[in-house]
Amino acid sequence: MIEVKNLVKHFGDKKAVNDISFTVNDNEVLGFLGPNGAGKSTTMNMLTGYISMTSGEIKICGIDILENPIEAKKKIGYLPEQPPLYPEMTVREYLSFAAELKGVKNIKKEIDAAARKVGLTEVMSRRVGNLSKGYKQRTGFCAALLGNPEVLILDEPTVGLDPNQIIEMRGLIKSLGREHTVILSSHILTEISAVCDRVLIINDGRIIAEDTPKNLAGRGGKAKRIIIRVDGGDDAVSAVLDGLDGVTYSKLGEGGEYEINISNASKDAGKKLFFAFAKAELPILEQREEERSLEDIFIELTKGDK
Amino acid sequence: MKAIFKRELRSYFLTMTGYIFLTMFLLLAGLLFCLFNLAGSVTSVKGVLGLLTTWEAFILPILTMRMFAEDRRLKTDQLLMTAPVPVKSVVLGKFFAAFAMVTGALLIMLLYTVTLAFFGTVNWAETISSFAGFWLLCGVILAIGAFMSALTDSMIVAAFSTYAVLIVTVFLGNIAAVASGVLQSVLLWLSPMSRFDDFGRGILDPSALVYYISLIVLFIVLTVKVTERRRFA
Ligand SMILES: Nc1ncnc2c1ncn2[C@@H]1O[C@H](COP(=O)(O)OP(=O)(O)O)[C@@H](O)[C@H]1O
Ligand SMILES: [Mg+2]
Repeated sequence: MIEVKNLVKHFGDKKAVNDISFTVNDNEVLGFLGPNGAGKSTTMNMLTGYISMTSGEIKICGIDILENPIEAKKKIGYLPEQPPLYPEMTVREYLSFAAELKGVKNIKKEIDAAARKVGLTEVMSRRVGNLSKGYKQRTGFCAALLGNPEVLILDEPTVGLDPNQIIEMRGLIKSLGREHTVILSSHILTEISAVCDRVLIINDGRIIAEDTPKNLAGRGGKAKRIIIRVDGGDDAVSAVLDGLDGVTYSKLGEGGEYEINISNASKDAGKKLFFAFAKAELPILEQREEERSLEDIFIELTKGDK
Repeated sequence: MKAIFKRELRSYFLTMTGYIFLTMFLLLAGLLFCLFNLAGSVTSVKGVLGLLTTWEAFILPILTMRMFAEDRRLKTDQLLMTAPVPVKSVVLGKFFAAFAMVTGALLIMLLYTVTLAFFGTVNWAETISSFAGFWLLCGVILAIGAFMSALTDSMIVAAFSTYAVLIVTVFLGNIAAVASGVLQSVLLWLSPMSRFDDFGRGILDPSALVYYISLIVLFIVLTVKVTERRRFA
């Protein structure tokens, strides 16, 4: 379990992390979602004891990271944003070194098992500096898994991977989440919703929303977005739309497409829209309702904060 | 500490740094040895080591300039500083790896000296104490180099700032030579290079030993502090 209270980090005048508090339960996968510069990496660097906080408190499995850093660090496997690799070593040498640092007992056996998990077996004797970006990422990830730490902290673990590798990596993180407490960061929404039990949306060093990916998607509440393509003049279409309650709309291109946002929409809002146009004898050629994606909510939340 | 020591030592040979250092050191030592001992039929290595004290100041930073600066550039310090290992162990592991390189070089140089025994009588007490003194002086220079490497992100800056410090210390001895009275004693006391003369007399003077070892400890402690402090920026 991880407990974070009122975490603050200043770099000179810059408040990189500005009063963040949260807890992560055992075997939970928590996502940090936020744009570049939001403070995700800085928070992770504090969680792992790489840098100190300006103020606040971090407890890893009940152990304070400042009071007893060595014991706290034993609980953590960390994959930083840029995997911390020595290019001159072979993958096996590097992993052995990482394992020794962590005080792993049965080094060879554990390295082989972890390498198999992340799919590194075929490159074990290659030099780290010659690996592709994907393999470098896996090497760093593999090192984080050594010693089977209770907590895994993964900073943008899928950056630089190709689509197949991303799917593999997500599957791996999900399965690890059954036995580990995981925090992962990303600025990609689909990634977070694919693997996380809970999401913290971070912007400008603050948590601006916290929920399950599903609930967040529903946060738009009753708002609905409908795209229609109508055969009719602008004025006629506007006249119909203006006659409806709680509707805002905008024209999309020249093809007669409109994006319609209905606040406080009822279930049959789509039907009502259809009949309104039918009554005005304007045929709707195409009508589709769009799910409000996490993306929309994200943009809305971060927009309001600036 | 053992893991760090092993990795650093190995890395010296994986990255050529170790070969560059050994080649430069042994070539220079061999050259001076040929000129003074072989050509001059002198069985004392005191003079050669005395000359080397100035030269090594330029060679040893090869070993230390990458020590911390490179880890920060590669971000591998994130691996070291988030591992369950105290900063002290990281610093000591790195320092001892560099010290092991120097020790190896000096052992090879000691073999040069052994060949002198075929040509005449070697004053072993003097030879051993000269080597011991030289060895510790190298330790001091490595500790200063480590400290400089911990201060900066760039290994070039690390190397040149180490040179700067060492040039000043070399000059301390030279200034002392023209100074007089109390000033001279103070400068000589401060200069690690002139302390080396004590060892050349064939006695392991405890005060000189303590002086060198204190300097090594001082700079290692400073390196640990700086490395810890950087993370509290
Ligand atoms: N060492 C540092 N010195 C100064 N500013 C920093 C440092 N590290 C991060 N920052 C700043 O803190 C903010 C948060 O950065 P970061 O945590 O890396 O964001 P994220 O990982 O969410 O992209 C950024 O504005 C960044 O420029
Ligand atoms: Mg980041």
